[in-house]
Amino acid sequence: MSKEHKKKNVFIQGAISPAFIGDSIAKHSTKTEIGAHSIFLGQVRNDILDGKEVAAIEYTAYTEMADEVFHAIREETFAKYPLTCMHMYHSIGVVAAGEISLFVFTSSRHRADALEACTYIVNRIKAEAPVWGKELFTDGSHTWKANT
Amino acid sequence: MTITVLMFGRIAELTGAQRQTLHDIPDTNRLQQHVTQMYPDMANLTYSIAVNTVMIRENTALTDGDTIALMPPFSGG
Repeated sequence: MSKEHKKKNVFIQGAISPAFIGDSIAKHSTKTEIGAHSIFLGQVRNDILDGKEVAAIEYTAYTEMADEVFHAIREETFAKYPLTCMHMYHSIGVVAAGEISLFVFTSSRHRADALEACTYIVNRIKAEAPVWGKELFTDGSHTWKANT
Repeated sequence: MTITVLMFGRIAELTGAQRQTLHDIPDTNRLQQHVTQMYPDMANLTYSIAVNTVMIRENTALTDGDTIALMPPFSGG
């Protein structure tokens, strides 16, 4: 049985606010079949590279391709895990150190599915989403981030 | 025949352009040769290529109206 899920907008301009994340959790209180949520939050880290401190990351993306990649990840995650719902949000533009740039939220009846699916989605986003982070240093210079 | 080349991240910075229109490039190998000729530093960069948003792994024939993306390693999340 396969269910088509609508393409959703994943990109959010700037940082993802704690209030947005809180609201997102609150919206699930009506879905009483859920027994477990798993949430991953990616936060911009103030890495020190060659003595220079990262102040922010500026994200750019190939949005047309990214929308297709996110859609495929969504479909394949629902096919692989019995989830009640899943949400993915990724920042675009400048996000300061200490702010949230990635929010992945999975919900299921029992915890194992939500936990495993959340990790699976984050790994796929890191590997497959055409998104680039430019690390902006406090001194005004920059470098291009590379996912490991 | 006209194609659109999209450049991202470090590549956009190196070429000074996010988008270029090119003519009469028959396949992706020839596109890479052309880009490396124009911007010799491209030879030192690792990047992948998507044709009309689909990643390719080997030389691919191009047709009029195709959009080709030159993409450095991803660093989202």
